[in-house]
Amino acid sequence: MKQAVPLEKALDAALFGSKAVGLGQAIRDGLPVPPGVALSGAIVEAVAASERRAIKEVVKIVKPLGGPLAVRSSAADEDGASASFAGQHLTLLNVPSSDEVGPAVSEIWWSANSDSAITYRKRVGLFTRPNVGVVVQALLDPEAAGVMFTRNPVTGDDERVIEASWGLGEAVVAGLVIPDHFRVDRAGQVLERKPGVKSIAVRSNPKGGTVQEDVSPDRVEQLCLDDDDLAELNRLAGRCEQIYGPNRDIEWALAAGKLYLLQCRAVTRAGA
Amino acid sequence: MRGVPIEALRRVPLFADLNKRELQQVARLFKERRFPSGETVIKEGSGGAAFFVIERGEAKVFVGGKERSTLGPGEFFGEIALIDQGTRMATITAAGDLVCYGVTYWDFRPLVEKNGVIGWKLLERMARMLRENRDGASAPQTSATSAPSPAAPSTKPGSPKIAK
Repeated sequence: MKQAVPLEKALDAALFGSKAVGLGQAIRDGLPVPPGVALSGAIVEAVAASERRAIKEVVKIVKPLGGPLAVRSSAADEDGASASFAGQHLTLLNVPSSDEVGPAVSEIWWSANSDSAITYRKRVGLFTRPNVGVVVQALLDPEAAGVMFTRNPVTGDDERVIEASWGLGEAVVAGLVIPDHFRVDRAGQVLERKPGVKSIAVRSNPKGGTVQEDVSPDRVEQLCLDDDDLAELNRLAGRCEQIYGPNRDIEWALAAGKLYLLQCRAVTRAGA
Repeated sequence: MRGVPIEALRRVPLFADLNKRELQQVARLFKERRFPSGETVIKEGSGGAAFFVIERGEAKVFVGGKERSTLGPGEFFGEIALIDQGTRMATITAAGDLVCYGVTYWDFRPLVEKNGVIGWKLLERMARMLRENRDGASAPQTSATSAPSPAAPSTKPGSPKIAK
């Protein structure tokens, strides 16, 4: 079905993909998710096929989000418990406005049909037609961002593991920096604070896309989160576990003093 | 615009036996794809499930890391992957901003499964290409990345180039 709905109305993972439905559930449960829109796999394919009616419908529903926008894949068969498509499908950050969302959606559809995605599908035994939903959200301009595991993915210990860096979380996800590393127990007690080497920060480029900026020398090894931020992240981890279950991999951002949830998915390979 | 102009498909040996109506059915399956300069379009050794016809711009063909040829508007690559989803036999990168039309295995297969006439024509053409390849004849070429045999990209003037 060719559908474009506000994220909170994305209910069917077979239509919109697990990322969109997970974020929609998070909004319905009161978690701090940036506003957004979910596009079904069918409307994404129609946009990729240059169907005018589909493009018009997508532009219309995305317009109130303003700009810039983050456009991410939400394939129905990605982020499953047995295989993670992390990194296989494209994410486009800082799409300037709704007028540019059509080509961005088309690129994401193609990324699921790229040689690397097809090779990956064959390797994990999922050589089936990709069903690519898309999530479009207002792009934040965070002071800091990163990832959090609600349980230690290496040792399996019952503690939060947080990795953080300045600017957008892509610096952490793409391994562009050595991020700050924190461990926090369930009660909120900080067990470890280890400064990283954050020489660059990924920021929105006014012309679209992102840019890597040098971080001033005094901030390279300065912790980008304080204890209040860590307490807030621990509360977010607890809420995510309540809603989605244990052992979650969370992407988050801290913008204008507020913590946002960007993604919450099952850890696909638990630690020892 | 939806789909690729059928004139572009007439040059593809695999589709050479299809009539206008059949070509139109194939053409409607194509979607535009844009690549910025330097981006890899297909990668040698990777699995593949899409066939591309170049609309605008140029692409460079590399085999074993060595540049072998340049493809331009109207040329194509990867058509055999539409049928066997096989391994790419060359790397192709955008030599500048590149606009292609592409069709995936997922879209192509249902059309052939539903339309036995198209299927039989493709089968006949494939058999002829195999025979010509085996006999070493100067056959109508397939493209630079998806030949039935690991052929190098053709640089023969006026002939389409093959790529899996």
